Amino acid sequence: MSKQSQSEHKKNQRKIITYIRVAIIGIFGGGIWSLLGFVFYTLNFSKFGPALILAPFPAYHWKESVGKQFLGILLICIVSIFIAFAYKLTLSRIKNLWISVGFGLVLWVIVFYILQPWISGLDPVTELGKNTISTTLCLYALYGLFVGYSISFDINSHEDEDTDYSNE
Amino acid sequence: MPLKAENDKEQIKKRIKENKTYLEERVGVGTSFDVGVREMKILGQQIEVVYCNSLVDSLSVIELLRELLRLVDLHKTGTDVKEVIKNHLAHEQVTEIKTLDEAVDNMLSGLIVIFIDGQSIGLVVDTRHYPGRQPAEPDIERVVRGSKDGFTENIIENIGLIRRRIRDERFRTEMLKVGERSKTDVSLIYLKDVADPGLVKALKKEIKKIEVDGIPMADKTIEEFVIKQGLNPYPLVRYTERPDVAAAHILEGHVLVVCDTSPSIIIFPTTFFHHVQHAEEYRQTPVVGGFLRWSRFIAILLSIFLVPLWLVLVMNPDVLPDWLNFLGPGKKDYHLPIVLQILMAEVGIEIIRMAAVHTPTSLSTALGLIAAVLIGQIAVQVGVFIPEVILYSSVSAIGAFATPSYELSEANKIIRILLIIIVAIFGVPGFMFGMTLLILYLARVKNLNTPFLWPFIPFYPVAMFNVFVRTSLPLARIRPSIVRPQNKLRQPKENNG
Repeated sequence: MSKQSQSEHKKNQRKIITYIRVAIIGIFGGGIWSLLGFVFYTLNFSKFGPALILAPFPAYHWKESVGKQFLGILLICIVSIFIAFAYKLTLSRIKNLWISVGFGLVLWVIVFYILQPWISGLDPVTELGKNTISTTLCLYALYGLFVGYSISFDINSHEDEDTDYSNE
Repeated sequence: MPLKAENDKEQIKKRIKENKTYLEERVGVGTSFDVGVREMKILGQQIEVVYCNSLVDSLSVIELLRELLRLVDLHKTGTDVKEVIKNHLAHEQVTEIKTLDEAVDNMLSGLIVIFIDGQSIGLVVDTRHYPGRQPAEPDIERVVRGSKDGFTENIIENIGLIRRRIRDERFRTEMLKVGERSKTDVSLIYLKDVADPGLVKALKKEIKKIEVDGIPMADKTIEEFVIKQGLNPYPLVRYTERPDVAAAHILEGHVLVVCDTSPSIIIFPTTFFHHVQHAEEYRQTPVVGGFLRWSRFIAILLSIFLVPLWLVLVMNPDVLPDWLNFLGPGKKDYHLPIVLQILMAEVGIEIIRMAAVHTPTSLSTALGLIAAVLIGQIAVQVGVFIPEVILYSSVSAIGAFATPSYELSEANKIIRILLIIIVAIFGVPGFMFGMTLLILYLARVKNLNTPFLWPFIPFYPVAMFNVFVRTSLPLARIRPSIVRPQNKLRQPKENNG
């Protein structure tokens, strides 16, 4: 095997590993934070649990059972894979924690403002109450941080292998 | 530097009296009681033995001198006196020095320096014997099984304890000196072919940059110079007093800093999850170790979040879900506001803890009795506290005691009190934003280019798995990527064993 094709091969391998990593980060990001969302839902901090994601399927009365909440968590894990890839394609070059947090907040705006009219049972933001707003806002921010920062850290740490340790 | 002596490179004089005068002036021979010069005549030649008797081992000095005195009978005068004397210094570590500056340094470190009339060199013999204690099991990191030795205040013994566990020829112990006046020995120890050379270089640079008169608080001072702590209460490095823990980290590719006069050794780089592990977990079977670790995680989480969570539920009855209806004092049958009660209990427990640390064992039983009976029981009867406050404050205090890292438990305590105050003011949004800001803040903290919450944020699944599950060593084939090891494998990939 010539040297060039070897490095090509290595590059491809790295690419595949990166894709797998992004997918895993998505799955865990969705899982961890929606599970936490479920906990806060049971504590009545938020009116919505992870089953909110089932709302576009009107056949489900998404507010009720625990089983549906877990179905919601599962679905969020899967959707998160796509969100993670979206992040990788757009913002992953910028290694800044606040960008990731902002990404999460943008997701929140999309769900609670832009998609709100199409989600049956989701009240307008003004009627949600401060508890629900703060809880969901924080969870989305942390979710964005987790997914975004993990992806951009991974990608950027491969690029500058000889990182320096200075504190400045 | 103003602190530095100016006559740095003063040569050793050929006329031996001049050396003595110099030392009298510079070190205070004759003024300080523990430094002195012994003059003798060996083979017709005047010699001077310079010593600091609070740091030398008198017995071995006597041995050496006796050997020198026997020379009188064995040799004719007129031979090369210096060579004969050097030859007869019955010790494995004898070096020649040229400057008086080195002579002073060595003498004040507990070595003896021998000057010979007519020679412009001095002979240094390592006869150090520092006051210290025997290795004993460190109080703070006890294990049920496993080695019971711990580091002492002596850097040589400490490195010896590690060297016994890693006899590798690639194990490096680099010595640096810190402090213009204290001249404390600080050593970087690592595996040459594993540890990241960038980290070693950066640490060496940072430590050499330290310019201070002395570091009586040893390792802690080094940490403060190397790590930019700021107002962050969280511990950014891990300390250990156990040689087995130290050796395990060296094998993983960490760089350790040993500082003379301190039994605590600093592990670089450290993340949050280094603080939640304990040697005991690795002394039990993987399943038991994992169980211990999970209990510890729960304890740590409780120590931060239990009281604020309870407070937020109790203070906002509209939030309190039906299945938790039994919580809270119900219809106002208490006198002081609950927040005040909790804060009083928190401060009270902290005071009891501090008192217990400083109380001699003979009195601590009495202290415990007072704490338990008077504060716990009577305070409830009088009506200062409601029982629930005592319960939850105690549980979170015990959670803090179960935190393996003392530094982490203290930081968590501060965060808990902050959360309590925020929750009291802002309710549920306060709790949520407080928690989020805490995580954001910790994710932002970086020391030596190591994200503090690694491997959680940024997420590294394999490393996270190793945090949550105590893997058995035969399965732990790769070194953690956070130390950026040069050699990633701990065991050959095909393990036929």
